[in-house]
Amino acid sequence: MKKILYTLAICAVALTTSSCSKLDNQEAPSETLTGSVVDAGTGKTVQTENGSGTRIKLLETSWSDNPTPFYIASMQDGTFNYTKLFPGTNKISAEGPFVPMVQTDASGATTVDKSQTVQIKGTTTVKFSVEPFLRIEWVGEPVINADGTITASFKFTRGTNDPAFQQDISDVQLFVNSNKFVGNNNFDNRYSPKIEYNGSDGNAQVGQTLTFTTIGGPLPTNREYFIRIGGRTNYGLKYYNYTDVKVVTVP
Amino acid sequence: MLSYKKDKIMKKYTYIILCLLVCWTTACKKLDVPPINVVQDKDIFTSSGGIQAYMARIYSELPIEDFRYSPQRGLNFFWIISPFPAVTGEALSRDQTGAMQENVDESPWGDSYKLIRDVNYFLENLPKYASTFTPEQVNSWLGEARFIRAATYFALVKRYGGVPIVDKVLQIPASNVDDLNIPRSSEEAVYDYIAADLDFAYTNMGETNQAGRANKYVAAGFKSRAMLYAGSIAKYNQITLVDPSGNRVCGISATKAITYFKAAYDAAVLLESKYSLYKNSWKAGDKVAQYQNFIDMFFDKNSSENIFVRQYHYPESVHGYDAYNVPRQLMGGNGYSSEVNPTLNFVEMFDGLPKNADGTIKTMTAGKYDLYTNTMDLFANAEPRLRATVILPGDVFKGQSIEIRRGIYTGSSAGGISPLLPAGATGNYPTANIVQSSNATQTPYTLPDGSKMNPAGLSGVFSGDGTAAISGFSIRKWLAPDKPTSEVLENRSDQTWIELRYAEVLLNRAEAAYELNVLGQNDKNYLQDAFAAINQIRERAGADMLASAANLNSIDIVRKERRKELGFENKTWWDMRRWRIADKEQNSTIYKILMPFYSANDKKYFFDARTDERNARYTFDVRWYYEQIPNGEIQKSQKLIQNPGY
Repeated sequence: MKKILYTLAICAVALTTSSCSKLDNQEAPSETLTGSVVDAGTGKTVQTENGSGTRIKLLETSWSDNPTPFYIASMQDGTFNYTKLFPGTNKISAEGPFVPMVQTDASGATTVDKSQTVQIKGTTTVKFSVEPFLRIEWVGEPVINADGTITASFKFTRGTNDPAFQQDISDVQLFVNSNKFVGNNNFDNRYSPKIEYNGSDGNAQVGQTLTFTTIGGPLPTNREYFIRIGGRTNYGLKYYNYTDVKVVTVP
Repeated sequence: MLSYKKDKIMKKYTYIILCLLVCWTTACKKLDVPPINVVQDKDIFTSSGGIQAYMARIYSELPIEDFRYSPQRGLNFFWIISPFPAVTGEALSRDQTGAMQENVDESPWGDSYKLIRDVNYFLENLPKYASTFTPEQVNSWLGEARFIRAATYFALVKRYGGVPIVDKVLQIPASNVDDLNIPRSSEEAVYDYIAADLDFAYTNMGETNQAGRANKYVAAGFKSRAMLYAGSIAKYNQITLVDPSGNRVCGISATKAITYFKAAYDAAVLLESKYSLYKNSWKAGDKVAQYQNFIDMFFDKNSSENIFVRQYHYPESVHGYDAYNVPRQLMGGNGYSSEVNPTLNFVEMFDGLPKNADGTIKTMTAGKYDLYTNTMDLFANAEPRLRATVILPGDVFKGQSIEIRRGIYTGSSAGGISPLLPAGATGNYPTANIVQSSNATQTPYTLPDGSKMNPAGLSGVFSGDGTAAISGFSIRKWLAPDKPTSEVLENRSDQTWIELRYAEVLLNRAEAAYELNVLGQNDKNYLQDAFAAINQIRERAGADMLASAANLNSIDIVRKERRKELGFENKTWWDMRRWRIADKEQNSTIYKILMPFYSANDKKYFFDARTDERNARYTFDVRWYYEQIPNGEIQKSQKLIQNPGY
């Protein structure tokens, strides 16, 4: 009797342990996709904001013609780097503050498709050339005024000649923040001024040199401020275009 | 002997076999009975009582934003802190510190399709039992069911744009799974589907029905609302999403604006002389009567203005509106109060207040605060509708003067009091010369004449405790004026929700007419029609009248009237979305408040208009014009495409 019990116990242990001996795990994804979204006109990357700005859309077509899209958020300087992808064939495009890379007409037919089909394996680099809605540039360097505020000059121009993407300019803002991540979704609104345009009022300002001075009195001293200017048009989801980030040290 | 035995055995077997046969066959007779504890179609669809029961349930599921809705917790949920008006800028709430879209995941999508299935089931099965009833009865019920389906699709389309149209009961398991994978229809097709259902309902339903159920004019009223939304999308939307088969699931062609505005206008006209603005206790030129009339309107069961309502009744069907929203000094036993505090931005829209040239409230003359003996003196000439909507500081509610005071100013008053903060400042009030309370446990301050006064009012404003009138105002609309404080409890209120009242239909008509006029339509004098409708609303409200149709020169006049009349009725957010103005209006916006202070040396009050002390910033994300389709649904169906930006 005891013998039978022991045999059973051994069998049970053997069965349970043997079933554990093989892990049924897929290798973790480890391929890298890196690249940038650049302005076709200037060759510079298209500045954007973290999180809600440019994003890269991947359609993994190895298995299905109609896959659920996978999105990678771009960094605010317009570059992206993602190191945890599975190898495979992907149709890649970008969405953001520029003329859409994939356009459809009223019947649903694709009229423009600048997406790229690439094999993702190892490190894959992709560069997208796009036309931003607005090109926003610094004019000179920001200056610290005697009253403790910062003044910055800038101008904006259209980044595309296609009138279908030259909507009215809705607003421009100077974004001020205390760290290098600065944009519409991350700024200190005690100091950040903005101009809102009614209707088509903003269009006359294209190409003009405009000036912003921080609001809210003198800026607290002995620290760095990260500033950039953003503007947007009334197209679609109204993404902002930005200048690059400048650091101003208030002594 | 043997044969006898054999015979006996045979007999025995015969009996057994006989028994078996008897038992067996009788038992076989009927095993396939429907379960008697489950109500069957024939029980429901063969009596008007059964149909009433079916209707009662589908009405209770109707997705309307009533006393049990908040964007944070969705439909039909008792807890309505983070209230809807605190998302639109109508009000501030301690539990809501910014703009948001609905945060309810599957709820409106999944619940709506369940309801649509129930309606489709009704539509398919009632005709099988039609012989029990008269054709009029059957048609009326079919119309009613289609009204409910239309209202449900409207709840979907206003959130998501084009959605899959399911017009029959889907069979599960399906012979072909692809049949269950229904792609989104275009936004236009969904609005047209809604219009067709409502037209059927209007044609087939009677003029009256039980309270809380629809009649033909309810269908027409809803149509005026839905078509106005569709027209606004056609005119103002900037977002496009076209699926591979050419269905524009987000956005409607601008060329359709006239069609939809006309449909909205025509539907609104159908209600003329069937319903009217409630004016039972209204008297021309009598502001007190007009004010009382506007309050009574929300509680008179026989109001000629009520078109479609949802009734509540304690204890079986309840909400907690009073408990969450009474002023602090009338707080009930659950410890909730003042969740909805109207902003100064909302109050400033009304007539009868002293105003600066730019339309903001005037609280200063030549750089010094104006002084008032009582806080209500500032509002002495306020529009009656404002008093009936908002509890102003010092106004009377439930027999009590609602005391709202931010603090006591103890500084010198010689030569007048200068602004406490520079214009536009967002910082804290200085602590010098101001006595304030951080919460409701107050230490009285001794005034120069020796009398004592609490720094803050009984209903606030406290510097460290949000359970107070943080904007300087408290909500009055919908609050039961006679509910004893012992009954101001959660799940204890049962006033009726008025989902559609004639004032909205008039405003729909005015807006559609104004837009048609702008779009160059002149088959009628649309501008005159809009003007007449606006003035009807204004007259009842006790507001300043428009002098002539020529004075109606901006869509903003129509929209402002709508926001004033329908404020706190959970309509404004949808309006801000369909006008596509929400992202302009809420662009890093801090809403304004009005803080009453008592000047100890003057023994008078002054008011400081400033921005929200919490610095709550509102920014509306442009993506929110089309809500995110729940990810769970996207993953279930390959044919369902997501809205832009998600």
